[in-house]
Amino acid sequence: MVTHRHAPDIHPGIAPRPTLRRRLDQLMRALLPSLFIVISAFVLSAGLGIPGQSELAFGIAASTVFFWSAHRPQSMTPFMTFCVGLVCEMLSFGPPGVFLFSLLVFHGVAHLWRYGLSRISFLFAWALLGGLALVLSLFGWIIACIGTLTFLSPGPSLFQAAVTIGIYPTLSALFAWARRTVADPEQA
Amino acid sequence: MLSIQGRHALAKLMLPFFFVLAIGLIMLGLTRRPVVDSARLALADGLSPAYRLMAAPETVFSQWKQSVVGLTDIAGENARLRAENQKLRRWYDVAVALANENAQLKASLHWIPDNAPNYVSGHALRDAGGLYWRSILLAVGEDHDIVPGDVALDAAGLLGRVTETGNRTVRILMINDDASRIPVMLTASRGNAIMAGDGSPYPRLIYYAQDNRPVEGERVVTGEQPAPDGREHGAFAGMPGGLVVGTVHYVRPGSPVVVPEASLDHPDIVRVFNYMSADHAGPDAPGRVRLMPPMPVAPELPFVPFQKPIRGQG
Repeated sequence: MVTHRHAPDIHPGIAPRPTLRRRLDQLMRALLPSLFIVISAFVLSAGLGIPGQSELAFGIAASTVFFWSAHRPQSMTPFMTFCVGLVCEMLSFGPPGVFLFSLLVFHGVAHLWRYGLSRISFLFAWALLGGLALVLSLFGWIIACIGTLTFLSPGPSLFQAAVTIGIYPTLSALFAWARRTVADPEQA
Repeated sequence: MLSIQGRHALAKLMLPFFFVLAIGLIMLGLTRRPVVDSARLALADGLSPAYRLMAAPETVFSQWKQSVVGLTDIAGENARLRAENQKLRRWYDVAVALANENAQLKASLHWIPDNAPNYVSGHALRDAGGLYWRSILLAVGEDHDIVPGDVALDAAGLLGRVTETGNRTVRILMINDDASRIPVMLTASRGNAIMAGDGSPYPRLIYYAQDNRPVEGERVVTGEQPAPDGREHGAFAGMPGGLVVGTVHYVRPGSPVVVPEASLDHPDIVRVFNYMSADHAGPDAPGRVRLMPPMPVAPELPFVPFQKPIRGQG
C-alpha cells in the first residue's frame, strides 16, 4: 500500500461488524476501477458519433490500470487487469491480443515501480505513462502491419498515444478523489 | 491450503502467466483471425439491442440539431429548395422521356428483365474496424438471408461489401479499407480498373490500361463480378455491374482516386442487396438458344496401356 494517509482512528482495534452488506460494499469499492473500464469500453464501443472513440477507450483503460496498479494494487490485481483487458479486447475490433497485452504491461510497470512512482513527481509518472503509451501503440501498429502484410499508416497509433497522454491528468485527478472516497474499501 | 510463501509465489507467477495468454491471443489473431473476429461479432450481435438503445439519444439530438439549423435560415432554405425543385422538374421530364424510350427499346428486343434483388435496410450500429481498418456493424434484424460478398449501399452509392454475418448483425467492409478491392468501370473512357482502399477517404484506382487512363470527373460504377463458387447459399456472392461508386479525381498527376458518393464517415441507413436470387444468366425462354456446357479445355485421351518398345525400333 503506497501513500495511504487515513485519519487516525479514535478507537483503534474496533471495527464494524463484517455484515454481508458491508462485504458487498467493500467488494464494489474494490471493483470500481475495473467496472469503470468495462463500462467506458462498452459505452465507447457503441456508435455515438464521437470522433476517436477507439482511441479514447484505450486511453481510459490504460490510464485507469496505470493509476490503480501504482496507487492501490488491491483494486487492480493481475487477474482484474486480465479480465478487463479481455472484455476490452472482445468489445474492440483492433489487432487481437494487443489491447490485453498493453494493459498487462501498464499494470506490470506501474506495479513494479509503485514505490518509486509514489516518491517522484506527477510529471515523471506522466512521462512514464506517455512513453509506455507510445511504445505500446506502435507495437499495436506493427502487429497490425504484420497481420495484413501491408504498410499501414502509423497516424492512428500516434493519435491513440496522444489521447492517452492527454487524458491522464484529468483521470488522475478524478481517481485521486475516488481513492479517498468512493473507491476506498476501508470506508465501507 | 497453501502456505503464505506458496501464495506469494503463486501471486508472482500470475502476471507472467497472463502475459503468456496475451501473447497466445496475439499469435491466434495473426494466424486465425476469423476465429477471433467471429467471437467478437457474436458478442456484438448479442449487444446490438443495447447499442440501438444507446444510439437513440444521438439520433434524437441530430434530428433536433437539424431542425434548429433549419429554423435559423428558413428563407435561404426555401429559396434553395425552390431552385432545386425547378431543376428536379426538368430532370423529371427527361427521366420520363428516357424511361419511355427505354421501354420501347426493350419491347422491340423482347427483353426479359433480371430478377429484382432482395434487400435489407438497417442502421449502422457501431464502428467495427478499430484503429486501422474501416468497417461498420449493421443491424439487419433476425432471419435475414445475407451472405458474405453482398453489396451495401447508402442513399448515394456503394458503401462496401459484407464480410461476416451474425444472427442480427452483419459486418461491412467499407470501400476505403486497406483490404477492399472492387472491380470498377469508368463510364466516359469505358475502361476497367480496380478500386483499392488505403484507409484514406478516397480509394485509389489501380490496374487501369495505360493507353486509356481515367478522365478527371468521370463517373465510376461497379464492374460485373461473378460469384467465384457458383450461386449456392453460403458461397461468396458476386457483384452486379452498374452500381454508382463515385467520380474520378486526380490528387496529383498519375494518381487517380475515387471521390465516393456514399457517406463513408457517417453511414446511417444502409441497404444490403442480396443478388443471389438475381440470375444474370437469364431464365429459360422459348425462342432462345440454350447455352451448351463449355467444352473441356483438354479432352480426355483414350487409355493406352503401357507397351514395351519392340526391339529394333528407334
